[in-house]
Amino acid sequence: MIKIDHLTKRYGDTLAVDDLDFEVKPGVVTGFLGPNGSGKSTTMRIILGLDHATKGQATVNGTRYANLKDPIREVGALLDAKAVHPGRTARNHLRALAASNQIKKSRVDEVLDFVGISTVANKKVGTYSLGMSQRLGIAGALLGDPAILLFDEPVNGLDPEGIKWIREFFRALANEGRTVFVSSHLMNEMAVTADEIIVIGRGRFITSGSVNDLTKSAEGTVLARASDHEKLAAAVASNRGVVHEANDEGLTISGLTSDQVGQLAFDAGITIFELTPQRASLEEVFMDLTAGAVEYGSPKSDPAHG
Amino acid sequence: MANESTLMATAQSEWLKFRTVRSSIMGVAVTVLLTIGLGVLITTLVRTHWTQLSPLRVATFDPVSSSLRGSLFAQFAVGVIGSLFITSEYTSGSICTTLTAVPNRFRLIAGKCIVLAVSMLILGEFVCFAAFLIGQRIYLGVVPTASISNGAVLRSVILAGLYLALLALFAFALGLILRQSAAAISVFVSVLLIVPIIGLFFPQNWQNDFMRFEPSTLGVSMQSPFAPSNSFGAWSATLILLAYVTGTMAIAVVLFLRRDAGSNQ
Repeated sequence: MIKIDHLTKRYGDTLAVDDLDFEVKPGVVTGFLGPNGSGKSTTMRIILGLDHATKGQATVNGTRYANLKDPIREVGALLDAKAVHPGRTARNHLRALAASNQIKKSRVDEVLDFVGISTVANKKVGTYSLGMSQRLGIAGALLGDPAILLFDEPVNGLDPEGIKWIREFFRALANEGRTVFVSSHLMNEMAVTADEIIVIGRGRFITSGSVNDLTKSAEGTVLARASDHEKLAAAVASNRGVVHEANDEGLTISGLTSDQVGQLAFDAGITIFELTPQRASLEEVFMDLTAGAVEYGSPKSDPAHG
Repeated sequence: MANESTLMATAQSEWLKFRTVRSSIMGVAVTVLLTIGLGVLITTLVRTHWTQLSPLRVATFDPVSSSLRGSLFAQFAVGVIGSLFITSEYTSGSICTTLTAVPNRFRLIAGKCIVLAVSMLILGEFVCFAAFLIGQRIYLGVVPTASISNGAVLRSVILAGLYLALLALFAFALGLILRQSAAAISVFVSVLLIVPIIGLFFPQNWQNDFMRFEPSTLGVSMQSPFAPSNSFGAWSATLILLAYVTGTMAIAVVLFLRRDAGSNQ
């Protein structure tokens, strides 16, 4: 269980995290979603005691991370896969980590095997690809067999096979009753990886909920161009549909499928010229949610954004 | 497991990290080469030119510190070892991994200091005793020699080794403050080489007062059986250097406790 309690972090003039307040529960994979620079990494760094909170606090199992006796036996984290001394071998890196928390040496070989880098464990980490470094980082997070795991953008640099592996791995961890907290800036990635999602933008809480809830809000609209728009709008309204926009190009309808709209028009004797389902992708929902919360957005003059 | 991680666990982990990177191994090799190698070179030169030396040089000749001179070059190697032990954590970003494993920052620094102090003291004593003994062997029969059974001689050799260990800790503290290898090493070298040059521009009477507080001058005092002119005695010099190291380390630890890890802000 991770608890974020009215957390605020200011770097000079920049407000990186702005009054975040949420909990991450065990037994599910919780996605931490936001555009780049939205404060995800900062929040994770504060959870791990690396950065100091300006206001509020973050606790794991009711305690501040800095007060944990053997922290990596309770919390495993992968923040930056490349944050390892490049001149040290993977095995020695893990051995040093194990020694600091009095974890037995044999565990090092277990986790190396598990992430599949045993054969290169005696090579210097500086020679590793990003994917291999990610696997080493995951090995480090698992070293203490912790009940809470944090991963910051873990799929970066992984090949498709690695991404599939890591999704199943997160699922397995959660099924074992562990708390799994995974950040990403990719909505579609989170949609297949996470059960619960917390969305932030510019350091501020935007929304949270199950993946299903968020997917529902991503239901598409139907564009209908017909012989009589007024009559069609009335028919839609009386069948619990909602007309969002009505102009020469047609009606933008939500709450009804294109099949239902077609049937309504037929029943009312309206001729349909065009009937186009317009499905908003999860990515678009995410863009909508975080619009205005993107730190480095496209320039205002961008024609696509008017 | 019920037993919780202790300072010893931290030190064990740091020792493993210290000995598994090439920079430490190279630094140790250079320290051995400079202290013993230059010691052999200097003592051999003294021996071959002994009969040509002026009576004044002969009268003031010190077989102890002359055989230990190489350590004044090796101080740069231990400085690099000391600063890299912490700055490499910042340049690679591994300080975050380290701090997640040992979030008690005071304990982390204590563990690192134990590893650095013990290993550099053993190294320093080893190279200084070796340079001394080899030097006396080279002097034997031509140049007057000193014996380790003399209390002042033994003290000089031991303090020469301690000097190296203290400088490694000083460089470590600079590294912890500056968090960049190049910056830490530059400042370290400046303190040892550039500051004495600035002293040369002072009036003569100030110069003597200024120079005897300089770390390398303190080092010469520490490795001399008799206090050189315008310098502190060996024990006073040791205490002053210890004060420098403790002061710098205190500033470094206070900053380390207050700062965010590795964000460089």
